[in-house]
Amino acid sequence: MSAIHPDEINAGRLTGAIPTDRPQPLDERTGDGTLIDDPAVRAPLVLNNRSFHDITNMVCGYVEEKPAGWWLAVAGLASTLAGVGTLMIIYLLITGVGVWGLNNRVDWAWDITNFVFWIGIGHAGTLISAILCLLKQKWRTSINRAAEAMTIFAVICAGTFPGIHVGRVWFIWMVFPIPNANGIWPNFKSPLLWDVFAVSTYFTVSALFWYMGMIPDMATLRDRAVGRLKASSSGPTVAPFLKLRVDQLRAWIYGFLSLGWRFSSRHWQHYEKAYLLLAGVSTPLVLSVHSIVSFDFATSILPGWHTTIFPPYFVAGAIFGGFAMVLLLMIPCRELYPNMKDLITLRHLENMAKIILVTGSMVGFAYAMEFFIAWYSGNKYEADVFQWNRVVPTWLSARGAPYWWAYWAMISCNVISPQLFWFRRFRTSAFWIFIVSFIVTIGMWFERFVIIVTSLHRAFLPGQWGMFFPTPVDILTFVGTVGIFLFLFMLFLKFLPAFAMSEIKNVTPQASPHEHH
Amino acid sequence: MSLDQCHSTVGELAVVKPRSVANDQIGVDGRKYWRGLEDAADAPEFRDWLEKELPTDASRLLESSRRTFLKLMGASVALAGAATLPGCRRPDHKIYPYSKNVPEDVIPGRSIYFATSIALPGGAVEGLLVESHEGRPTKLEGNPLHAGSNGKSSAMAQASILSLYDPDRLKDPRFTGLSKEENEKPRSWQDFSAWSMQHFGTLKDTQGAGLAFIVDKKRSPSRDAMKQRVKAMYPKAMWVAYDPTQSDDVVKGSEIAFGKPMREVLHLDKADVIVSFDRDFLGDDAAMIRNSRGFASKRSPLTTKDGMNRLYMVESSLSLTGAKADHRIAMAPGGIATVAAALASALGVAKSAADRIAGQMAGAAGEMSAETSKFVAELAKDLKAEGRTGKVVVLAGPSQPAAVHALCHSMNAALGAGGNTVHYRAMSEDEASSSVAGLKTIADALNAGKIGTLVCIGVNPAYDAPGDLKFADAMGKAAQRITLAAEPDETIERSTWHLPLAHTLESWGDLESVEGVFSPVQPMIAPLYGAKSELEVLAMICGDDLEKADGYELVRNVWKSRPGFTGANFEKAWRRGLNDGVFATAEKSAQPSVNDGPVAAALGAWTYSPASSDKMDLVFGMGAIGDGRFSNNAWLNELPDPITKVVWDNVALVSENTAKKFGLEQDPETDKKRYTKVIDISVGGQMIKAAPWTIPGIPDNTVVLRFGYGRVNVGLVGEGTGHNVYPISGLVGSSRRFAAGAKIVRATEGERDYQVVTTQHHGSMEGRAIVREVDLLAWQKFGDARDTNLDSYGNQRDLAFAERLGELSHTPVNINAYVNPQRGHKDGGVAKGTQAENGSSSYQYGSKDASGASRPVDFTKGPQWGMSIDLGSCTGCSACTIACQAENNIPVVGKIEVNKGREMHWIRVDRYFAGDSFTGINASSVFFQPVACVHCENAPCETVCPVNATVHGPEGINYMVYNRCIGTRYCANNCPYKVRRFNFFDYGVKKINGAYIGQEAMESVGAGPKNHNLIPPRLRERLDEITKLGMNPNVTIRSRGVMEKCNYCMQRINEARIEIKLKNLPGDREKIPDGFFQVACQQACPSDAITFGDLLDTKTPYPEAGGKTRTGSRAANLAANPRSYMLLGYLNARPRTTHMAGIRNPNPALVSEARQKLIDDPFHHGGHEGGHESEHEHAAEHKGEHAARPANNAFDPAKTITDSGYKLSLAVLGA
Repeated sequence: MSAIHPDEINAGRLTGAIPTDRPQPLDERTGDGTLIDDPAVRAPLVLNNRSFHDITNMVCGYVEEKPAGWWLAVAGLASTLAGVGTLMIIYLLITGVGVWGLNNRVDWAWDITNFVFWIGIGHAGTLISAILCLLKQKWRTSINRAAEAMTIFAVICAGTFPGIHVGRVWFIWMVFPIPNANGIWPNFKSPLLWDVFAVSTYFTVSALFWYMGMIPDMATLRDRAVGRLKASSSGPTVAPFLKLRVDQLRAWIYGFLSLGWRFSSRHWQHYEKAYLLLAGVSTPLVLSVHSIVSFDFATSILPGWHTTIFPPYFVAGAIFGGFAMVLLLMIPCRELYPNMKDLITLRHLENMAKIILVTGSMVGFAYAMEFFIAWYSGNKYEADVFQWNRVVPTWLSARGAPYWWAYWAMISCNVISPQLFWFRRFRTSAFWIFIVSFIVTIGMWFERFVIIVTSLHRAFLPGQWGMFFPTPVDILTFVGTVGIFLFLFMLFLKFLPAFAMSEIKNVTPQASPHEHH
Repeated sequence: MSLDQCHSTVGELAVVKPRSVANDQIGVDGRKYWRGLEDAADAPEFRDWLEKELPTDASRLLESSRRTFLKLMGASVALAGAATLPGCRRPDHKIYPYSKNVPEDVIPGRSIYFATSIALPGGAVEGLLVESHEGRPTKLEGNPLHAGSNGKSSAMAQASILSLYDPDRLKDPRFTGLSKEENEKPRSWQDFSAWSMQHFGTLKDTQGAGLAFIVDKKRSPSRDAMKQRVKAMYPKAMWVAYDPTQSDDVVKGSEIAFGKPMREVLHLDKADVIVSFDRDFLGDDAAMIRNSRGFASKRSPLTTKDGMNRLYMVESSLSLTGAKADHRIAMAPGGIATVAAALASALGVAKSAADRIAGQMAGAAGEMSAETSKFVAELAKDLKAEGRTGKVVVLAGPSQPAAVHALCHSMNAALGAGGNTVHYRAMSEDEASSSVAGLKTIADALNAGKIGTLVCIGVNPAYDAPGDLKFADAMGKAAQRITLAAEPDETIERSTWHLPLAHTLESWGDLESVEGVFSPVQPMIAPLYGAKSELEVLAMICGDDLEKADGYELVRNVWKSRPGFTGANFEKAWRRGLNDGVFATAEKSAQPSVNDGPVAAALGAWTYSPASSDKMDLVFGMGAIGDGRFSNNAWLNELPDPITKVVWDNVALVSENTAKKFGLEQDPETDKKRYTKVIDISVGGQMIKAAPWTIPGIPDNTVVLRFGYGRVNVGLVGEGTGHNVYPISGLVGSSRRFAAGAKIVRATEGERDYQVVTTQHHGSMEGRAIVREVDLLAWQKFGDARDTNLDSYGNQRDLAFAERLGELSHTPVNINAYVNPQRGHKDGGVAKGTQAENGSSSYQYGSKDASGASRPVDFTKGPQWGMSIDLGSCTGCSACTIACQAENNIPVVGKIEVNKGREMHWIRVDRYFAGDSFTGINASSVFFQPVACVHCENAPCETVCPVNATVHGPEGINYMVYNRCIGTRYCANNCPYKVRRFNFFDYGVKKINGAYIGQEAMESVGAGPKNHNLIPPRLRERLDEITKLGMNPNVTIRSRGVMEKCNYCMQRINEARIEIKLKNLPGDREKIPDGFFQVACQQACPSDAITFGDLLDTKTPYPEAGGKTRTGSRAANLAANPRSYMLLGYLNARPRTTHMAGIRNPNPALVSEARQKLIDDPFHHGGHEGGHESEHEHAAEHKGEHAARPANNAFDPAKTITDSGYKLSLAVLGA
């Protein structure tokens, strides 16, 4: 990799058209050829016999090509939403939390719902990177980079909400254990404080993991930019009046970000070790962060929150929702980016669909267990929460749950819709996987809404029962975070290597010592 | 405020020799111009100063900073010399600052108390103690020396202080009827004085022909004297004392019975059986405070040997009294009269006439059901039972016709009640006169063009006159309309002279309460806006000049000739009176005898016409804002109606059936906007709009309406609240409290939907043991028995009576895994907290940790504060809510914010309805439960706060540290009692009415209703400046984003502690004697349902009334009472505030089968709704357990196996 031929560089500038198809003879009955049932045959993880070179060209091409029309459209929309969301947040900060629909019966509603929702989304990335890495699941290589990016952005969105939902944002620093003359420390008994530590740790480690994984790939981008600068004196400039060439800018920025990576064996050796270590560190974090988020509820005394099943249930739910979000993002990319189907095969999608099926069923089991325990405990308050706050619709009983639709939306989205994946036809169809992922994402939002709002709105004393109604600010703030998330992801697709090139190359047949070429 | 704490009652006050302010030469910067007014009045610099500094000019006042204002107000008090004679206003009027030479008794930062009294709507009078900070009155409390108040006060009295600081008050006199510019010009009182000299001078020559006065109804010697003066000067003038809510039938009834108008003074503390025919003597009643106390004194049996009174209620609305009744029948007003007649017949009173009426009822649509007949028969038996003579009372309410009132007087005489449970006092001429008839005379004269000058004082007939008088139009026919009013109103809008009326706390006067206590009204503060009192204005009308028309002298002169105040005695008696807030208590008047003939005749002339769906009965009463004078009072507007919990509105209560018949079903409780359909109510050619609302317990074909809302010309707060119902009350042929033959239809034009906002949407307890209540027989039978069985795991239970009524008798004993750091003890049996008997309360566990070090928070050292709320005594009146609001600077949030569920009251009164027992005679179906922060020892809020903003104090108080709070609201989520209140906006600091930037735009999304109570920011600026003056300086004002809640009035505890130290009284930090101070809610509670004190104080002997001695604090005693239980006790949060189960006392002969079951086995019915429905199948099994289940059988072998895991964990924990 040390020497780059100028032709190759020029070739690389025309990604998409250049890598010629070198089709493998694959059985067409097995989808794109990766859905092989025969245990003796290893399904290819990269299609069309891509060479190392092809892979580099494809992945770097996504960055180096001019943005496509759809990219500009989506990024434009997302940034608009992000702007609206930001305005809503500024309005909230200026005016008060009262612009949301929260009240003294339901003191948390969309704010914490969104927080837990985004934190849950943020699970798949690190799970794919760390746990699947440790488990030597090779198929993770083509999705891990995007999933990690998604994690980072989701955690950013998640972190926004605890930050802005407090009454006095300007004193939020009090949650950090900053030594002070008053000798007042945060309350280490409070799960909200654990949250602060858990989420910030998770974010830090995930970001490090993500960034470290990108170093070799960014070095590739740097080298390609440098190569092009050396090979040709012309090339696109940043702006007509600015003589600065884009490749010069790339060389600087990627050069800075790649931390002097030289692809030396020593670097690789250190890299591999560090990667493994971070994977090891991240693994417990994947489990801990959502467990701790679940403590926000589990350690309380509120029926519907006070549940020992919450930590595993939340982790399963987070993986469930996270994978759905990965699919939600990658399936359109796969369609819109040239050649991406070679890297993300149907087998990848099927694997993820299977995880959705498994975790969805785990979540369903958890829902069922909540009912069982509510009945088994003999605690009237606990049973009432499930029966009268969630399940029984108002049209069936005057006493019924006004939020019954939320509960049933959750059940149908999270428990029923993934059951489609028992059928191979559905779990090997990108279209159906996309649909189900979309439904699951909605369902997971409702899950948090159901847990938070329906438990709070009818708690111990019926005299203090009340409803929560979202205001336009509630809605636009959430939509705004969707925009922020999407916009960040679009930037990622455009400016950072969306695939871990070195790792993908590792799992191609060429990389195998047994390869006959 | 305790007796001891009050200057006015510490020891006997020697008569302080009057300090002549005029002669004091006080040096300020060496200069000597601070003399008395009369000395210095001519000095130009003094005049200059006077103009600049004296708060006579409202606009200036508003511009002045708070600090300046404090200075001024402080000055005005100090000047009055009041501080040198606490509890009494010095008669001087001059103002000098106490920035130097502070009177020795005045300690800046320390409150001083003064006695006064206040007249409230409906003829109520309350004696008050006013807490004053540097000259600013901040809080009103009942005067313990006043026999009517007895240290208690109503919500209205508590809230009246807010009206003092109302920025909408009239500021300057105005004279209108001229050019537009001239109309707007502020006039001075000199202008009015000059004008009136001239105008009334002319009238004097004509003996007052063409002059008419409408004044508010008031029992006041000074006012009566003033009336005589007016009458003497203008013999031809018309004088009408007017109370828009007065029912003439009450007066007429007593005239029929006694030959002269008499008013009843109830001694309910002596009554064993009370029968009320639609008389809400605990709520909408002039003697509500007195009656509540008397009634409650027999509602809370502390031992199983104590007796109780029994209340039978037949009513057409659902009142506080009805909610407390042991038997209640809901009936249209006409029907009630027939029941009264049936009772009279059974008692043999006016028998033939009564029989005729009872017969009428029996004939008409079966209203007299078999059940009612039985009710009447048993009621009569109960009244005549042995030993009951003189211990019963029969009452008629204002909706009832005069004949029923007369009949009740007759029955009382026959039952020996007169002179025992009910006394009578002669009414004054003004009191007895008919308001509506008087107003009609004036309206007729106006229309005939006979009145040239109309003087309205403290009344608002243009708003509240009956619709057929068209008074607002008639008024315009008088050439000069002179109106004295505190705030803008409909009458002043139509007047030529607008005169600002001084608030009670700014004026001199006197009052006579219902029971005949004469009390002074004395100013606490110089009039904020240069207003004048009614006496002063009347004196000016009688020809006094501005100087001479001086309230102080006017009142003083009247009292100089009163018995006991004559001659040399006067000064002493006068000072004593001002000090105590009581001038005299009238002699008991002789019991008048009842003339049976007229009673029978009146009854004979009465005919029963049953209500039907096209001829509905209307019943009128007063709601939170009284007769309308408190319409601009935000506290009262936001005080939930005790029964409906509706705020900022008066609704027309109808029964579910009626609502259905007219298609008026309201939106479900889960609806965002909660619309109700507007109806038109027409009667006698008059029509009003109203917002119907259904609650249980209202009879069919009856509409219950509340006065005082729907004001048009009112301040910013009262604008757009509710609907005016006055136009259809008091029409010809009906009384102000009752009208028959009304039609209702859905409104066809204008606003058709109307948003009604409540603080409580859900009225059922859902079978949870929240409010616990049993019948007296069950209490007597089981009250002393404790449940000491083993639970199913073999752990010892120890549950007292009330605890057995709830979940604890079904749940295993709570075993804690952890050592409570505050106790050094594993909290064991959940019931322990209430076992303080023999001084061995659970607050006496080791105070050292394992290493022997003292714990930072040690619950074993006193005082450990706790509260007991007696659900038996609580009448739901909500005075506690307002008292707390006044004490703790709690903001008002407005209708829209309440609709979102953001009201801020620290103590609320939850109201529950139970089951279907609203029909029939067993209707013990409404329950009240005051809930504030209960200060849990294992407080769930404390563990979850990430920043330690809510922590436990060494005295068991759960502190809320506002400075530390960042507003995560987790505490509120984890609070099972939902008592925490979050400042979603800057309610307290800037935007007092829940407004925020962009609110209107926000509200318009989804086409929601506008927030009528939204105060534009520009005006709010003004509002705040003046409203701040009423704030309690000892309580922080909370900013946006901060959680707040009850703190057990910590400021009062600390004040008491300082007092003890300063006075070197016995006691120290460990010990503040019980009753030395009271918390705000306790202080206000008219029925004494709230008790606060040291739970560790179990040994000190305290003398009690009747020469008895009580050992330990009241709170500790009550906490140990078997009626005490911890709300949601099974959560093991260990609340310090415990509730005491209510007891009702139904007539055993009228008890239904279902209720008898509850009496026989009260322990399987949490709440009052058949309890744990799902656990009925267990009932049989439990029964055995409670009866005599041998302890060694507690282990069910099957259970032992299934629960082996639990057993194991117990073993591991060493439990």
